[in-house]
Amino acid sequence: REEIFASSFAAAAYLQSIDFPKDKKVYVIGEEGILKELELAGFQYLGGPTDGDKKIELKPGFYMEHDKDVGAVVVGFDRYFNYYKVQYGTLCIRENPGCLFIATNRDAVTHLTDAQEWAGGGSMVGAVLGSTKQEPLVVGKPSTFMMDYLAKKFGITTSQICMVGDRLDTDVLFGQNGGCKTLLVLSGVTSEQMLQSPDNKIQPDFYTNQISDFLTLKTAAV
Amino acid sequence: MAAAAAAVPAAKLEDAEALIDSVETFIFDCDGVIWKGDKLIDGVPETLDLLRSKGKRLVFVTNNSTKSRKQYGKKFETLGLSVNEEEIFASSFAAAAYLQSIDFPKDKKVYVIGEEGILKELELAGFQYLGGPTDGDKKIELKPGFYMEHDKDVGAVVVGFDRYFNYYKVQYGTLCIRENPGCLFIATNRDAVTHLTDAQEWAGGGSMVGAVLGSTKQEPLVVGKPSTFMMDYLAKKFGITTSQICMVGDRLDTDVLFGQNGGCKTLLVLSGILIIPFTLNSSASSAEFASALTLAGCLLQV
Repeated sequence: REEIFASSFAAAAYLQSIDFPKDKKVYVIGEEGILKELELAGFQYLGGPTDGDKKIELKPGFYMEHDKDVGAVVVGFDRYFNYYKVQYGTLCIRENPGCLFIATNRDAVTHLTDAQEWAGGGSMVGAVLGSTKQEPLVVGKPSTFMMDYLAKKFGITTSQICMVGDRLDTDVLFGQNGGCKTLLVLSGVTSEQMLQSPDNKIQPDFYTNQISDFLTLKTAAV
Repeated sequence: MAAAAAAVPAAKLEDAEALIDSVETFIFDCDGVIWKGDKLIDGVPETLDLLRSKGKRLVFVTNNSTKSRKQYGKKFETLGLSVNEEEIFASSFAAAAYLQSIDFPKDKKVYVIGEEGILKELELAGFQYLGGPTDGDKKIELKPGFYMEHDKDVGAVVVGFDRYFNYYKVQYGTLCIRENPGCLFIATNRDAVTHLTDAQEWAGGGSMVGAVLGSTKQEPLVVGKPSTFMMDYLAKKFGITTSQICMVGDRLDTDVLFGQNGGCKTLLVLSGILIIPFTLNSSASSAEFASALTLAGCLLQV
């Protein structure tokens, strides 16, 4: 379990790293994972999946309240995403002095089912960016927060690491930003054609079909 | 290397008569200029009457796409203002007008992430559409093997303010833009906040657009302010040049920029953020028009 670093964990770890006050609250636009990690880290939170049922009645004179103690809004993938959450997060960021805007990731698409791609955390983050005009602090890939965290935790330098992933703009970029070796596998979203396309600006150190190639690839003996 | 020139500071309006005489058309933003939520701002009817009595053309441009121009006509009427539907240009109308201007094929469909206003304008223009408020009740069940279908005939996704916004709509729009060849991504506006009630600001069309931008990494074509599409459209329609126009608004990054991008005069009013407790008497002269605006400026400086 200690070998796993999800961006939900990264959000809680980030708040710990900046000594986010325990008397402040976190508003979550996201799912269970974030809530669980915040709870484990001892932070108070509001929002999450249950706000998915809340609606706005825009009657004249209607006023939407928000908790003035919210000191951070954490945004990640949220299948229960709706206007109420966007507005609540927007009010916190715009009106609570010093309120942080943290994104677990900005992935455009994500593999929620094996059949097709799904709009990812990047769309929830994009919505809040659109209403606040504030850039978020990204704790997931390609930001190096998680790599710096685990390098420190395991007492290693990033040059001793190889990052293996299937996405150029999150995984490989993460590795490059962190200063470690990078290996692209073609078993996911990126094809050889995409890698070699003139539009692609991100080149990993190596690429191969899938990680089991580690078992079989060997330079032929001279 | 020469330093970039700083923007010329705005001049407080002193001689309203000169400004009025120098232009043929006044374009008014609505929220924060004519009304705030559902309340008329003081002195507006008299001001509009004064301008009409001087033979000025009045046009009303709003980024709010929740209503069609016909529905806005009713709102003006309810507030006691006599405004013709033909004088109103909402961004809902702009979306339909844009599709007409590019001869968007009638056998293609439009997926709408937005409200009634957009649907009504598309219908009036003869375009087929999907989506809108009713998709607000749709949910995703992410079971293994579940596959979300989308209509391959969608040739444009139009995004505007949507209080019924949800993940289903984001995903549907995303599939259309990513998978239907040549599918357009059109935004009625990218306003960060909007005045839906007079009590506070609300996350605006910019957030719905931001969501779809986030999942497609494609920049939208914006038809509302500050894009000049609506100004070019009405200049052509009325046969005037933009130098004959004065744009009046309460927001720098939509209204004033719209005017500047279009090459017309610009007047900022401060009534968008401050309720001005003054009234013009019924025989308001230009001088009082000027002093009313100047009074607003003085109140803000106190």
